[in-house]
Amino acid sequence: MGHARPLATSRSATGIPTGRLAVWWILASEVVIFGGLLGVYIMHRIGHPEWAEAASHTQTWVGAINTFVLLTSSFTAVLAHQAAEKGDGKKAAKLLGMTILGALTFLVIKSLEWTNEISHGYTITANTFWSFYYTAAGLHALHVIAGAIIMGVVAFDAYRGRELHRVELIGIYWHFVDVVWIFLFPLLYIAK
Amino acid sequence: MADTVVDVHHDAHAHDDHHHGPSGIIKYLWSTDHKIIAMQYMFTGMAMGILGGYMAYVFRMQLAFPGISVPGFGQVSPGEYNALITNHGSIMIFWLAMPVLIAAFGNYLIPLMIGADDMVFPRINRLSFQIFFISVLVLLASLFVEGGGFGGAWTSYPPLSSEAEFNLTNLGSTLWLTAVALEFVAFLLGGINFITTLMNARAPGMKAYDIPLVCWMIVIASILFMLSVGPLIAGAVMLLFDQTLNTGFYDPARGGDPILWQHLFWFFGHPEVYVVLLPAIGITIEVMATFSRKKIFGYKMVLYTAVATGVLSFFVWAHHQFIAGIDPRMANVFTITTLLISVPIAEMLFVMIATLYGGSIRLTTPMLWALAFMAEFLIGGVTGIFLGASGADIYFHDTYFVLAHFHYTFFPIAIIGTFCGFTYWFPKMFGKMMNETLGKIHFWGTVIPFNFIFIPLFVLGMGGQHRRIYNFQHFPELAGPEMYNLRQTATIALLVMIAFQLVFFTNLIMSLIKGEKAGKNPWKANSLEWTTESPPPHGNWPPDQMPVVYRGPYEFGHPDREEDYWPQDEPA
Amino acid sequence: MSENHENNEPQGDGHDDGHHVNYFRIYVVLLVLFLISVAGPEVGELTGLRWITLITAFGIALVKANLVINNFMHLRWEKKLMKWVLATSVILMVLMVAGIAPDVLNHEGRNWQNLAAQAAVERGLGEDDHGEETMLAEGGAEAAPAGFSAASSFGTVCATCHGAGGQGDGPAGAALTPAPANFTDPAFWEGRDRDRVLTVIRDGAASVGGSALMAPWGALYTEEQLEQVTDYVMAFRPN
Repeated sequence: MGHARPLATSRSATGIPTGRLAVWWILASEVVIFGGLLGVYIMHRIGHPEWAEAASHTQTWVGAINTFVLLTSSFTAVLAHQAAEKGDGKKAAKLLGMTILGALTFLVIKSLEWTNEISHGYTITANTFWSFYYTAAGLHALHVIAGAIIMGVVAFDAYRGRELHRVELIGIYWHFVDVVWIFLFPLLYIAK
Repeated sequence: MADTVVDVHHDAHAHDDHHHGPSGIIKYLWSTDHKIIAMQYMFTGMAMGILGGYMAYVFRMQLAFPGISVPGFGQVSPGEYNALITNHGSIMIFWLAMPVLIAAFGNYLIPLMIGADDMVFPRINRLSFQIFFISVLVLLASLFVEGGGFGGAWTSYPPLSSEAEFNLTNLGSTLWLTAVALEFVAFLLGGINFITTLMNARAPGMKAYDIPLVCWMIVIASILFMLSVGPLIAGAVMLLFDQTLNTGFYDPARGGDPILWQHLFWFFGHPEVYVVLLPAIGITIEVMATFSRKKIFGYKMVLYTAVATGVLSFFVWAHHQFIAGIDPRMANVFTITTLLISVPIAEMLFVMIATLYGGSIRLTTPMLWALAFMAEFLIGGVTGIFLGASGADIYFHDTYFVLAHFHYTFFPIAIIGTFCGFTYWFPKMFGKMMNETLGKIHFWGTVIPFNFIFIPLFVLGMGGQHRRIYNFQHFPELAGPEMYNLRQTATIALLVMIAFQLVFFTNLIMSLIKGEKAGKNPWKANSLEWTTESPPPHGNWPPDQMPVVYRGPYEFGHPDREEDYWPQDEPA
Repeated sequence: MSENHENNEPQGDGHDDGHHVNYFRIYVVLLVLFLISVAGPEVGELTGLRWITLITAFGIALVKANLVINNFMHLRWEKKLMKWVLATSVILMVLMVAGIAPDVLNHEGRNWQNLAAQAAVERGLGEDDHGEETMLAEGGAEAAPAGFSAASSFGTVCATCHGAGGQGDGPAGAALTPAPANFTDPAFWEGRDRDRVLTVIRDGAASVGGSALMAPWGALYTEEQLEQVTDYVMAFRPN
């Protein structure tokens, strides 16, 4: 079904393009969601020194690999933005494709990691540390999945030279997902 | 720019013809037009309000005549009583006040008042209503599953809310929580639309201070909502896991803390009341300006105090937890901040009074509602001062005093605010005028009984009557005739008020069918929505006649003019 | 299509001209920081100097985040307004933690103690040496339930209506119709046996055709506890 973009969408009284303005506001709301969850986790962690024992069973090197994967995917995402700015939709789409590949790699590694942990008995109910671990990383993973799907749609359009401005927008969202992981990694894996 | 306009609207005319009303039920349900989405929110919200009101009727009958078989329900068991009060509260806040005041009025008014043809993201707009509608279905489902609806109060404190063995509902509590979470997502999405549209899509010439206050208020409320709900969403996920996966986030024996939930809930819960208050104040002020034929006394004052209220609202939350066992040093801090927050709100009421003073007052139905808002909210506000002082709150907490306080604030917000806005913008929305006589009868028949419901509750609260008890005859100190009579008075007043709502529905239907035709600007107001047809066509204005703005929206009684009003889009 | 550029480059947003960022260089810096942030805690562990771990793990996280936000997300070229909005959301989270921490973090204060939390901490620390085994054994452990007593349960749950002596004269029962059962009345026991009493306690009286005022209490009790409470009620039976 064809949908006509309203005149309103192309106006910009603030000077910031509407799409980008919206993404920043979305990120503001995500900051308070993740901030809330991580703030609560930090408080509990400090108040429960005995969780260090439970936390010692997280696999730092797996988390580290995933950190590397996400950092690299952020890099490809910003390169995609650079290509889109130059009007090169095909190149942008390819770079977005690599970013999505990074997302999938992250998810595969995480699934293997979790399967391993669950099989050792570190389930979500094993200990409240593990409850936070799975909830925080799980919420993050949901955002990775959602981001990858939207990125796929944007890449599909970009390859055909359409809606190139959206490459920047999904990129900003993707960098945010990376930033959340930058904090999750030390909080869940390194703090032992 | 011109090319884009033509492009866009060629498509619009080709496939989405709303000039003569929705064509086909599917097109109506699938519409992205902000006005239609607004109506969907409006009527869903009002229907839920009727359900919430029915619940109030049932539990008030039980309280006034304990053990009675309530007509239209049957005998009320303790579990059912708890489910009724829980869902009454949740529905009135999340499924009446927010959808009507923010989503319905926001969706309808913002594009019109800023001279835009729609919201900037119409498809996300539609999606947010669809998610909202699903939340309605989930909530309704929670009432009919085995075990019945959730009965742990709208505040849902664990461990009552997290353990099925305590709340005895199993599915009901999980469905309730899911419905609330979905409602939050819908309003997050809607909020993005309102904020971005207001910031970016204004008509040429409309500076920030030319925007009608009601639009600012709705957007500030959306920002407030967005920033406060995050931690609660995190907390709700944790509660959901406690309910369904048996995690121990709120179980102290497993490293959790039930007080944590209280903090997360009220960190949102307190800003939430201002989320619904600000739009109601916005609506009231718009109406007051129009029917005093006078500029708002301090537009910037109201704007800045609204922002100040929003900011301060993040610093007061623990006044809901004064006797929950929080650190007493925190209680000191929160008492001070709570008493402080009454200042900016009082300021806004002063601006209302100053706007009225010296104005040429027209006592139309919307104006009556606006005046009632001021009077009743004032009572609610001052009674909040007693509760904000932690010492006094030791006595008052969890008594009917609290309940009467928040009904004296919420009722003006959700009910009076709604009727004020609805009767004011009805001509624009439907192209017909409402009957003034019926409107006034409905007004008096609502506001007078309202006071007879809740003043007795203040008295009962001061007498020590506790909240959330299904039968006061179980408590000898509270079962005496004086208190019993007060409870009955309140309930009978409620029945009277409910009866008068029939007048409103009669008026609504009569006016829709054979109301006097309304022109573009029956109230002779200045803002942009009154410059187009009633009801506005799809796209609001012809694409080549989008408004350009030359002044603010409250230029009433300007000395250079013959008319006592000066529309924003008229060139100088 | 022209509309792409409409949305891409509205009047003067300024961030696309004039900034030269070598994304590759930023990426390399991020990788180096990442390696330090992994290596640092190892050093911290070996030397036992906690602050090394804190600075390298968390301090570097802040630096990395800063780099990504400013350079990849282009926040440093964005309008001030959006920077303020994002800063506000972060500050709010700090405020939230500051307001909640005194309650959640402390397990005792001037006149209070959070006994359950203290017990949980002690349990966790005390069994530290058993490592993995302990964690699995703990799996979802709840606080050991206090010993169950049918008498005490009757006192809290049932006596309000049925009276401490089971005579149907509890304070809450006064206004009920029908009145709560009087277990000391022989007439009550006509046609009623132990099985029926247990069923009514568990599923409520409505389940056997009685009044809904007698609610189902089964969710409160285990099978064993239900039997004990039933026995307690049976003990009121006169003969």
